[in-house]
Amino acid sequence: MEVIKNYLESMFANLPNTPEILRAKQELFSMMEDKYTELISEGKTDNEAVGTVIAEFGNLDELSETLGIKNMMQAPVPSDRRNISHDEAFDFIRENEKHTFMVGLSVFLFITCCVGPIIGGLDVFGGSKASDMIGIVYLFTSIATGVGILIYSGSMMKKWDYIKDFPCFIDYATADAVYTADCDDRSTRALRLTIGIILCILCFVPAAVFGALSDNNFLTEGMGPVFLFVMLGIGVMLIIISGSRHDGCQKLLALNDRATVSGNYQGMGTPAPKFSDPTVDVVMSVYWPTITCLYLIWSFISFDWHITWIIWPIAGIIHGVVKRIYGTENR
Amino acid sequence: MAAISSDVIRGYNDTMILYLLLEDPSYGYEISKRIRTLSEEKYIIKETTLYSAFTRMEKNGYIESYFETAENGKRRTYYRITDAGRNYYREKCEEWNLTKDVVERFISENNLVPSKGE
Repeated sequence: MEVIKNYLESMFANLPNTPEILRAKQELFSMMEDKYTELISEGKTDNEAVGTVIAEFGNLDELSETLGIKNMMQAPVPSDRRNISHDEAFDFIRENEKHTFMVGLSVFLFITCCVGPIIGGLDVFGGSKASDMIGIVYLFTSIATGVGILIYSGSMMKKWDYIKDFPCFIDYATADAVYTADCDDRSTRALRLTIGIILCILCFVPAAVFGALSDNNFLTEGMGPVFLFVMLGIGVMLIIISGSRHDGCQKLLALNDRATVSGNYQGMGTPAPKFSDPTVDVVMSVYWPTITCLYLIWSFISFDWHITWIIWPIAGIIHGVVKRIYGTENR
Repeated sequence: MAAISSDVIRGYNDTMILYLLLEDPSYGYEISKRIRTLSEEKYIIKETTLYSAFTRMEKNGYIESYFETAENGKRRTYYRITDAGRNYYREKCEEWNLTKDVVERFISENNLVPSKGE
């Protein structure tokens, strides 16, 4: 059955994405499915059934007149688009994941680099010059390693630039596999993101607890800040790598031309933009996380929890207004 | 072995489909299966031919389509014939009788007609 679906999808891949054509595809698939099911129930093997169904499918040229796609039929398959094979697609996803992990790791190193001087400057080491120096050395080594990882990983990803720079496309079978891989990753992604955000929110807790419970300089001046930076580092890293697989998959699924039937493979992944203006769409995609950050920052700095909630109704109203003006749903 | 010329049969796909719809509404695969059995496997209609006939006849008002869910839960497009379709079917039958009458006068069962200059 997969073969038949793939066959049909590849026949329709370059046709315009119109309701008539989608309906034709659906109807033809329904007929082929019925025929296949019947052949199988008559005791034919899978290969025989698929062979018969495809042999008796006919020719799309016959539909050109009824569907008003005469010109499309004569146009050769656009050869300026480069096909991304199944293996290539998954290499890309894997390397993109690795790259995102590297970025996450270097951000972790940047955030935690100051742990060196904090520990090095502690009284337990007698505040000696040597321990100070080790701390500083750690700081710069961290930064240097982070920068090194970024440069290395970035240049490793260079070879995939053609996916962005040239028009490429993926066939139905690949799109289907990529989409499945993306779905399988959904729970991992959600888990990483959740833990990451929780760590970021809670990172100040150890410092606060140590500060309240103990006069010990090692805990308040040393471990508190160390925990803060390490938790923040791990949290941010988790947030960065949570979308690693998803990003790669979405990039691949977005390759196909939306004007053709093949553009619908993307529909399996991303919904159509919610806002007509692309800039607004980008801004609005980070709207609620930004509001959340503003709320937390304002609240923690001022501790005016009784008043800071006002940010939510205001944000809600602004969101509604923007949606009204730029929204694509109610047009 | 002789095969059916698709050029000739093309003009009569509509007739076959309408004939099958005269009694009861039906859907794509069932129609193609009945054409195959009624013709004793001599004519197998291609899916694309069938679908283009459906869309053309629906546009001309000879058939109407509607959705129905089958016992196995599959949603199918069913087609039913309209009055215009019945009239069209009758015209096509008359047309075929005339065509058959004319063409048959030129069909020789035994190869008595001498071939010229071989």
